[in-house]
Amino acid sequence: MRPPRAARHAWAAALAAAWWLLDAPPSAAQATGTVDVGVSSVRYDGFLPSGAASVSPALRWERPTGTLTARGTYLRFESGHRSLQGLIAGSFLIRPAGHRWGGEVGGSVGASRYLDFASFWHATADARLHLLGADRGAWIGATAGRTAYGAGARPVTSAGVGAWAQRSQVMLSASATRSFVGDSAYSDFLATALTHRGAVTLDASLGARVASRGGGHGVFGEASATLALGERTLLFLAGGRYPTDPVSGSVAGRYVSGGVRLRLARPARLASRTSLPSASRPPHDGDPVPSARLGVVPQPDGAVRLVLHVAGAAASVELAGDFTDWQPWPLRRSGDGMWETVLPIPSGLHRLNVRIDGGAWIVPAGLSRAADDFGDDVGILAVP
Amino acid sequence: MTLLLAATLVALQAATQGPDPRLQRLDSISRPIVTALVDSARAAALPTEPLVQRALEGTTKRATPDRIVAAVRRLALDLGHARDALGPTASPTELVAAAAALRAGAPPATLTELRRIRRESLTVPLAVLTDLVGSGVPVDSAAAAVLSLAAQARDADLVEFRRAVERDIALGAPPASATAAAAAFAAAAVQVNAGARQQRPGPP
Repeated sequence: MRPPRAARHAWAAALAAAWWLLDAPPSAAQATGTVDVGVSSVRYDGFLPSGAASVSPALRWERPTGTLTARGTYLRFESGHRSLQGLIAGSFLIRPAGHRWGGEVGGSVGASRYLDFASFWHATADARLHLLGADRGAWIGATAGRTAYGAGARPVTSAGVGAWAQRSQVMLSASATRSFVGDSAYSDFLATALTHRGAVTLDASLGARVASRGGGHGVFGEASATLALGERTLLFLAGGRYPTDPVSGSVAGRYVSGGVRLRLARPARLASRTSLPSASRPPHDGDPVPSARLGVVPQPDGAVRLVLHVAGAAASVELAGDFTDWQPWPLRRSGDGMWETVLPIPSGLHRLNVRIDGGAWIVPAGLSRAADDFGDDVGILAVP
Repeated sequence: MTLLLAATLVALQAATQGPDPRLQRLDSISRPIVTALVDSARAAALPTEPLVQRALEGTTKRATPDRIVAAVRRLALDLGHARDALGPTASPTELVAAAAALRAGAPPATLTELRRIRRESLTVPLAVLTDLVGSGVPVDSAAAAVLSLAAQARDADLVEFRRAVERDIALGAPPASATAAAAAFAAAAVQVNAGARQQRPGPP
């Protein structure tokens, strides 16, 4: 059976987003894997309470301008019945240069299955326009897509507005959305607060569903606390009441959950140039030798490859820095105007200069510069 | 008692280490003074490697002995001020980055505040702060932007923020405006996009 057209489009969008994230050599990207293992007590509206154990593996790719998350959940209720859920969600932020507004486009594709008779899938795309301040912002957005319970797909549309503000260590946000899912329609008002205190993160939300036709109504709220135990382990406790979600097929209920989240590995850079500032930095007006530009490429083994592009003919190129004990280190010619070397450079701030054909020590373009205390300039390289 | 023991251990370590052999590359005038400055820094539990490197840098650049000594002495002072601002738990790389930030004009209170709000290493935030000031961003604006991001932003977010400022300045935006706009966007990237970024514990 061929999947519906909307679902195919959503999967294509998800694959494109994955490609965008994985094919990200010029920017810092991180991949993180986690597994949540927990137990819950849940009482769905109209049903008896039930205990459940869950395992939720997740993968998350992050770039500073976007995120892609893939998550699955296996639930086993005390009755022995099982439920499977899967979700891929991503978003990408766009900011025109020098403006205080930005755009965000995203998408979500998910499916769930309970026993052999209840299965949902959904595919939605959303767009938001953000107005951004230093510690506050507002957005307006819309969502469109399809959701299906069994065979018949229903259209999903929603529109919303929201605002957020950072106050000291607390992030506050509020939003209002009006949603239409097939014949159902409902409005949600939601306020959230998030704060970090050392190793503890507290998150709370309070909302109300009103003007509902087929989506339920009432007040709902949830709270969660997490406690980080080192870099790889986190304890969590969550509970509250949540509303029916006609898009993903979840039924309203009350719950308490607790468990542990295990990070599978330290966040790893997929591909990045971790020097700071950018190697593509345009030369300053005062750069004495704009014809030399340094590129910095971290190697998988922890070393750093330094590539110097030199305009014009050169017979020899050397660099010296605190990672060579300021002994001149010759670069190897690797192509037309390109010279390079690979050195073990530890994390931290480093100072370096280069010289061409035994000339003066200069700061190549691509590095920040600072006065060197000796009447000239030195380049600053930061290796995270 | 603990302090006395630590001071004794540092003194013993200094006595047994002897002068750094790399300082043999210095001229005969600056070498004994630099060696004394390095020993003093070691006794004060400050990192000595940056001081040795600063002296070697001066030698490679054929600086005069006076300039080499002045540069090492100034760096030792900066490292001391950096530790005062960041506290005794600061790592050597953080102290080096903080010394550079102070030299660029960052107020010590900004460094102390950074230490208070950020659990992770301060090396990259301090490098970003120093670099912004070096790019012409007023210190107050640069400090406000870095402080607004440092609590939750990852190092990669801060690097991206720095790139955004750099790009806007290259396109003609005033440095302070470029910094404010990029900081707002970076904050949004960290905080607004929470739906996909975070895995909140929730209902089963």
